[in-house]
Parts: sequence; C-alpha cells; structure tokens
Amino acid sequence: MPIANHHSAVPVTVDADKCIADKGCTVCIDVCPLDVLWIDESTGKAHMKYDECWYCMPCEADCPTDAVTVNIPYLLR
Amino acid sequence: MNAFDDPELQELADRLASPDPGLRRVAVLDLVDCPEPEAVTLLIQALRDPDPQVRQEAAKVVDEFESEDMADALIAALNDSDEVVRNAAAHALSDLKDPAAAKPLLAALEESRDPFVVAGILRALKSLREPAAREPALARLNAADPGVRREAVGLLGWLKEESNLPALIDRARDDDDAEVRRAAVGALVYAEPASVAEALRYVVGDPHWQVRAEAMNSIGKLHHQDSLPLLIEATRDNTWQVREKAADAIGKLGRVEGIPALGECSRDAMSNLRKAAIGALGAIAHEQCRPYIQTALDDPDPDVRKLARWAQSKLSAA
Amino acid sequence: MNFDDVAIIDTDVLVIGGGTAGPMAAVTVKERYPDLDVTLLEKANVKRSGAISMGMDGLNNAIVPGHATPEQYVREITIANDGIVHQPALMAYAQRSYPMIEKLDSWGVHFQKDETGDYDMKKVHHLGTYVLPMPEGHNVKKILYRRLRRHRVKVENRYQATRLLKDTAGNVSGMIGINTRTAEPIIIRAKAVVMATGAAGRIGLPHSGYLFGTYENPANSGDGHAMAYHAGADLANLECYQVNPLLKDYNGPACAYVTGPLGGFTSNAFGERFIECDYWSGQMMLEFFKELESGKGPVFLKLDHLAEETIQEIETVLHTNERPSRGRFHDGRQVNYRKRMVEMHISEIGFCSGHSASGVWVDETGATTVPGLYAAGDMASVPHNYMLGAFVYGQICGESAADFAQQRSEFELDKTLIEKELIRLRAPLERADGIPPEQMEYKVRRLVNDYLQPPKVSRRMEIGLERILSVRADLPLLKAGDAHELMRAMEVHSIVDCAEMAARASLYRTESRWGLYHYRVDFPETDEQQWFCHSRLYKDESGAMASGTRPIAPYIVSLGEDKDAYNQLRVKQAANA
Ligand SMILES: Cc1cc2nc3c(=O)[nH]c(=O)nc-3n(C[C@H](O)[C@H](O)[C@H](O)COP(=O)(O)OP(=O)(O)OC[C@H]3O[C@@H](n4cnc5c(N)ncnc54)[C@H](O)[C@@H]3O)c2cc1C
Ligand code: SF4
Ligand code: SF4
Repeated sequence: MPIANHHSAVPVTVDADKCIADKGCTVCIDVCPLDVLWIDESTGKAHMKYDECWYCMPCEADCPTDAVTVNIPYLLR
Repeated sequence: MNAFDDPELQELADRLASPDPGLRRVAVLDLVDCPEPEAVTLLIQALRDPDPQVRQEAAKVVDEFESEDMADALIAALNDSDEVVRNAAAHALSDLKDPAAAKPLLAALEESRDPFVVAGILRALKSLREPAAREPALARLNAADPGVRREAVGLLGWLKEESNLPALIDRARDDDDAEVRRAAVGALVYAEPASVAEALRYVVGDPHWQVRAEAMNSIGKLHHQDSLPLLIEATRDNTWQVREKAADAIGKLGRVEGIPALGECSRDAMSNLRKAAIGALGAIAHEQCRPYIQTALDDPDPDVRKLARWAQSKLSAA
Repeated sequence: MNFDDVAIIDTDVLVIGGGTAGPMAAVTVKERYPDLDVTLLEKANVKRSGAISMGMDGLNNAIVPGHATPEQYVREITIANDGIVHQPALMAYAQRSYPMIEKLDSWGVHFQKDETGDYDMKKVHHLGTYVLPMPEGHNVKKILYRRLRRHRVKVENRYQATRLLKDTAGNVSGMIGINTRTAEPIIIRAKAVVMATGAAGRIGLPHSGYLFGTYENPANSGDGHAMAYHAGADLANLECYQVNPLLKDYNGPACAYVTGPLGGFTSNAFGERFIECDYWSGQMMLEFFKELESGKGPVFLKLDHLAEETIQEIETVLHTNERPSRGRFHDGRQVNYRKRMVEMHISEIGFCSGHSASGVWVDETGATTVPGLYAAGDMASVPHNYMLGAFVYGQICGESAADFAQQRSEFELDKTLIEKELIRLRAPLERADGIPPEQMEYKVRRLVNDYLQPPKVSRRMEIGLERILSVRADLPLLKAGDAHELMRAMEVHSIVDCAEMAARASLYRTESRWGLYHYRVDFPETDEQQWFCHSRLYKDESGAMASGTRPIAPYIVSLGEDKDAYNQLRVKQAANA
C-alpha cells in the first residue's frame, strides 16, 4: 500500500534563539520518554519531530535555557 | 586545574576550563552522567565559576550528587549573588543525612546574617536532629524574618526536647506570623499534655483558622482529656474545617460528654463535618450516640452513611 | 544480519525497564553482591522514564507502624480484590513496605512529615491509614539515578527489548532488542533477568482519540507482557482490567489521595458524593461508571467548597508534581478549582497491577513460571502495588535474581530463537511500502474500545477477538520509515498481543467479578463455586494462546469462616474493617 504524507500540529515548541543545542546541549532530547524531540538538521536546534507526546514536561523542566514550551495537544485542549 | 585518571572525567574537566561559558554550561550538564565520585570536585569548581549561568546550572544539578561530598561548597553557595544558586544550595543542604555535616553547618550558621541563608541552614540542621543546634535555634526564634523563625521552630520540634517547650509555646501564642504560630502549635505534640494545657487553651482562640485547626489536631494527638471543653466549644467555630478537626479530636478522646456537640455537628450542612462527627461518635461507641448514628444511616451523603453503618456495628459490639 | 554478525554483550543480571522497580532491582543486586555485573536496559532514558518521571504525589499504600499492620493491609487488599489474591505475595510487600520507606527516606526522598519529624500519615477513609503524601516528591528519579551511578550499574538507554532469550534447557538467558535511534539489534546474554517494563497502557484508546494521551506513560506499551508470554511465562487474571477515574480529556488522576485528605471529593452533577464502596477497586469504578451514565451524571471533582489556602495547597501539588501540565490544561478551558467543579471521566482499559491486579504471574519471591525470569512493578501480578510496591518488588526480584545468577552454571543460547527474531525486527524496514505503525495501532486500539471495554458482552467480545486476529494477520505489512518507527512497529506487535490476551482472558472467566473491571452483562453473578481461582493465560505447546486456572493459595490472614467472606464484608458491613 502506498503511503501518504499527513500533517499534524505538534504540542511542543522550542525557541530557537534560546536553544543552545549548537553548544552540544541535548538535554530535552535525552529526557523525553517517547523520543520525539530531535535536532532539526536545517537549524541545528531542537524540535519536535513526531506528534507522540505525553505532555509530561521533563523536556521543559530540564531545559537549561527555558527554550521549551509544552502545550496540551490540540485534540485534548 | 585538576588532572584525572579517568578519560571521561578529564574530558569534562577540559570542557569546564573552556573560555566559552556556553560550552562550560553544557559540560556541567554532562557531569551528571559521570559515575566517577571525583565528578563532584568538578561540580564544586563549577559552583564557583565566574559566569552566573554556569553557576546556576551547577546549582540545578547539585541534587544529582551526594550532598555529603560537598557540604562546604553548598554552604558557600548560600551566599551566592544569584538567587537561583542560593535556592538550589539551600534545597540540597536539607538533603544532608550525614551527622558529620552538622559541624560546618553550625559554623556557617554562626556567621550568617542573611535570613535566606540562615533559614536554609536551620532546615538542613533540622533533618540531622543535631542537639547542638538547639542554642542557635532558640536564639533565632526572635529573628525579624518570619521564614527564619519558622525554620527555628521546625528544628526545635524535631529535637523533641522538653526544655524547648516554653520557647515553642511562646511562638505558638505570640508570634506575629500565622504560619510560625501554626508550626509551633503542631510541634507541641511531643509534650507531656499537662505542660502545654495552658498554651492550648490560648491558641484555640487564634484569629487564623489554620492555627485553630492545628490546635484541634494537636489536642487529639496528645489525647489531652482536660481540653475537652475547648474542643466542644470549637465544634461551633465559624470555619467548618476547624469544626471538623474538633470533632475528630473529640472522637480520639473518646468522651461521652462530647456526644451532644457531635450530635449537633452530625446535622451540619457541610458533609465533611457530618463525616467527622459520625466517625467520632463511632469511636466513642456509647449508647447515647445511637440516635445520631441512626439518623445518619439515611444521610444523603454515602460517606456519612458508610460511617454510620460502621459506627452502628461498633455500638452493637460495645 | 545474522546471529553471528551481532556482538553479544555479557552480564550477570539484566534488568529490563528503568522506571521505578527496575532501578531498585539493579541497585539491590549490587548491594547484595557488589561483584556481580548488572545491566539496566531502558527504552527511554532512566533519568526521566516511567510512571514517576516527574515525581509522585504520595504513597497510597504505606504500612507504617502505629497506623496500620501488615495483617490489616493483606485483609483489606484481599477484600478489595474480591478474594482473588496470592496472600503470601501481599504479605511480603506489607512487611517490607516500612523498611523501604525508611530506605528511601535515607536516600533523600521527601515524604511529608509533621512538625516533630514523624511521617504525616493521612486517613483517606475510616479503614486503615495508608496515605503518606510527598508534596515535594519531584526528586525520586534523581535519587534513583544517583544510586545507579554510585553502584556503577551499566545503563543502556534507548534500547527496546523485544524478545527474551532462552538456553537450550529452557531457562531465560537474556534478551534481544533494538536501538531505537539506529535500529541496530542488541543481544544481551544474562544469567538472570528481571523485567520491570510497567503497565500495558496502550491497549485501549483514550476518548480524545490521541494515541499518546493514555493514563500510563505510553512508553509502557505492554512489551513486557508480550515478551513474558512468548517466553512461556504464565500471566494471571488479565480480565481484571485497569480502568481509572480521570479528569475528562486530561490523563491526570483525579486524586482522591491528594484532595481527599484536604476535603475534596468525587461528586455527581448535583455536587453530592455518590460512591458507596470503601475500597479503591472495580466495585468503586462500577459505581463511578453507573453515575456517569445516569441522569445525575457526569461525574466531577469537587473542590469549590474548600478554603483559599487549601486550594492553593492542592494547586501547588497537582500542578508541579506527577502531571504538571494539568494547570495548563485547566487554563486552556478557563477552569478554576475555586469556581467550578472539574468534569471527570474514566480512562481507557489497560493491564496494570499497580492500580488493579493483572499481570505476569509472580510468587512472593518475584519469580515467574519460567526459571531465571523475575518480574516486578506494574507488569507483575501482585495487586494494588502502586509505587511503593514497585520498589519493594524491585528489591525482592533483585535479591532473587542475584541469588539465581550466583549459582547458575554455564549455558548455551538457543540460536534459532535469535535468528527468528532478527528477521522479525528487520521486516518493517525492508518493505518498500505497507501500513505505518500509527495506522495499525489506531485500528487495533479502536477495536479494543468498541468490543472489549466493560460492560463486557460475550458475543461482542467474540467479534472483537475475530477483528483483532485480522489485524494480527496484517502485522507482516507493517512498514517503518526509520528507527523510531521501527520501535513503534514493534510496539504494535505487543499491543496486538495484549489486545488478544484481553479478549481471551475476558471470554474465559464466565462470571462477573471485580466490579467494572470484569463486568459481564450476560454473566452478571459472581460464581464462587467455579471461579474462586486465578485465571491463567499462557502459550501452549502448539504455540497457541491458552487459558486455565490456578488455585488460590491458602490464606495466611483469614477473613472469617466463609470463603466468600470478603463479599459480605464489603457489601453488608463495608465500614467494619
Ligand atoms: C499518572 C500516574 C499517577 C500515579 N500516582 C501514584 C501515586 O500518587 N502514588 C503511588 O503510589 N503510585 C502512583 N502511580 C503508580 C506508580 O507510579 C506505578 O505503580 C509505579 O511507578 C510502576 O513502576 P514500574 O517500575 O512497574 O513501571 P514504570 O516506572 O512505568 O517503568 C517502566 C519502564 O519500562 C520501560 N520499558 C517499557 N517497555 C520497555 C522495553 N520494551 N524495553 C526496555 N524498557 C522498556 C519504560 O520506558 C519505563 O521506564 C501512578 C501512576 C501513574 C501513571
Ligand atoms: S534542552 Fe533546551 S537548550 Fe538544550 S537542546 Fe533542548 S531546547 Fe535546546
Ligand atoms: S512533554 Fe514529555 S513526551 Fe512531550 S516532548 Fe516533552 S518530554 Fe517528550
């Protein structure tokens, strides 16, 4: 079966100006239990790659620069 | 700079010596994953970093390490110019479990004036239950800062020493700050009941409801029979939370004379209070409780009904 | 890639799952035998994995001297669980619960204490007093991590275990899995294995339809249940689902244990209490469900009668610990505890002994029915274990596994198992097209909701089973675009296994028991003659999913003369305990 692309709005945002992933930080990526945060190849900063979030918040709590904001996923809001 | 045998640690040490504060900051984050006990020396170094953001980062991870290994550094960090660092240090200090930490803490206490620092040290000494902390704690009971007084009360409460009761009673009665009074009332429960009777009589009239509620609690925990009239009086308090705690405490004392007041409470509009009243009547389990318990079997609130069934079974057992 | 191409890692004791029970098991092995080599393998990262990633609001089942006794606890859990318990396992927990609290306290876990430093126990109901709040409980994971480092436990993060390995004699001897970022396979040979992979939390679909909005941490997708099953272990009482009361659309517990001691309660639309049952149990959930569906529904969390100070206290706990995004959820809907009751609902179904009673069968030593394999926490069958039970059984399993590893002689791995698994692991990446894991997962979980959710109806469950089996037939079509999707694809295998287990176990027990958890509309009565026993689910010799029974071990704490005394105790004099 061929596969289509499908879009969804993700709940977690990263402020690229604050993110220091370029200095080697991977804290949010490390702590996420669902492994949905990755480095965005084009910007070198962290971003949410998969819409599979438990809105549990370690990513936000542990980010050293307060760059991460966890919102409630749209379907639940 | 320190030299380490472990290559991972050495690599971290090198990064922590980088001129770029950003890189130093990320190196602190990686320290946490290092199993070598010497990692703590690097953390201590980071706590003294010239860059406040690096110090903040180090402070945030202090609780990932055993506080025992860095009591001195933490005490020093209590005086940091940055509030985040100070807070984290105070928090980590209260996790100290090693009695040997008492000595440096006491020394630091002697020299400290900043209320925040003093409160942090008192909190740390509290969990160590260090008898030598008694004198300095007593001295801080009159500190201008309520946060300091509150921690001093806590420390003395944890020591459970009879000789500290007069000072605690003082705070329970006369402190300006409600939270200090509440804590002091809560601390009285280790006393020989008669020795705090007079104080309890006073604090049940406190203007703040949480202090009054705490007083009810303490009377119950103390099983102080002579305070029964105070409890009965308090079943008519304006705040239902106080009435609830008073009913609870009457149940703990198990006194027949309390039954009519509890009966009154068992008709209160607030179901939480009706629950407490029926629970207390069940605990007393005297024939005179029966009519109230009987009525409560049909209470609209199922929790009250459940308790009434239980209370009834206690009656038949009695 | 073949067996010979994958490097084999050797360890003495392997612990799978680094949430709550797992780290405790790993540390315990090291405390007992510092020379043993211990590896802890975790799908996520042990720093923040599992149910307690952000801390916990309190202990629900602390047996503290002066407040409750082990005998009292065993008795109450037996009653709450309609008699179907292995009491020796409950007793082992009850006796070790207090020493474990003391141990955690000495490690720096913050429990609430009164002004003289004693544990500040709360009475939630008039039965025993078991609740110990921990409003500053955010640091539990950090403390566990500290212990792991101190004991030099080898931690392998971002590896998903997919199958257990056996030796040629049938003992469990390690595991095979994949790296979730590179899709590289990993094989670990171990003398003993402790599993602590948590609940099976992704069987049902939350009402919101969001796949990851589950009550349980979604990393807990039932892999452990599936692995144990395929290794030949017994699972017990799977029809006794977990269903929890939750805020509507938000997967935070409604917190009887946090708000209860402060005066909050569960109410109907008229602001009245309605729950008659004394125990956190299926019976209570049945009352909840009935009220929800009735003219007095829906159900609410009522706090609006509390004082401002109390509400602030509740907010601080509920919005900083455990599920801290709760405040954000309420803000989004302009809900304020002071002004409005908060709508509640029930969760999707799952398998979780932490809150309910089903899981991989273990005895009081944490042993499963397969030699060399131990299980702890939400995935093992000791009922109502919660967090403290996960710690205690982590410790028990650590001890048992360490002893087993100590005396185990040389063994040879069964290679055919590994070859087969390598093929299964590779398949989704090798397909050019097919079905993405997300789609297949949605489908099977939607079927679980439609056909298996209680109230259970036989014919409906039979159809459900048929439909689930048709999804099973689609498993070879799973297509993964990257390593991450491969992990999800392997999770779908586990979810389908668990869905089939839920259906078969529910059909097998032809009675109603455990309130809502196993409420069978066409078998409404509890049948003590036939069903006063555990149910078993296992893989038979032909490889098929089979069911059976296991007798209840004689009680060590008696409830009275009758064997269904628990029933009378609960219904007629519920309050008299
Ligand atoms: C929202 C919530 C609130 C709760 N509140 C309370 C409370 O207030 N008080 C209380 O006492 N209890 C509470 N509990 C219950 C308690 O948290 C759990 O019972 C306990 O933490 C379970 O521990 P565990 O080790 O079994 O599972 P977890 O801690 O969930 O750990 C399981 C681990 O296994 C890992 N894993 C899963 N699959 C694999 C695989 N294939 N390979 C490798 N690793 C894998 C997961 O990533 C996870 O880290 C709550 C639970 C939840 C979900
Ligand atoms: S934790 Fe914060 S700074 Fe670090 S990578 Fe993530 S967003 Fe960037
Ligand atoms: S909220 Fe939790 S699941 Fe979502 S991205 Fe952050 S850590 Fe991951």
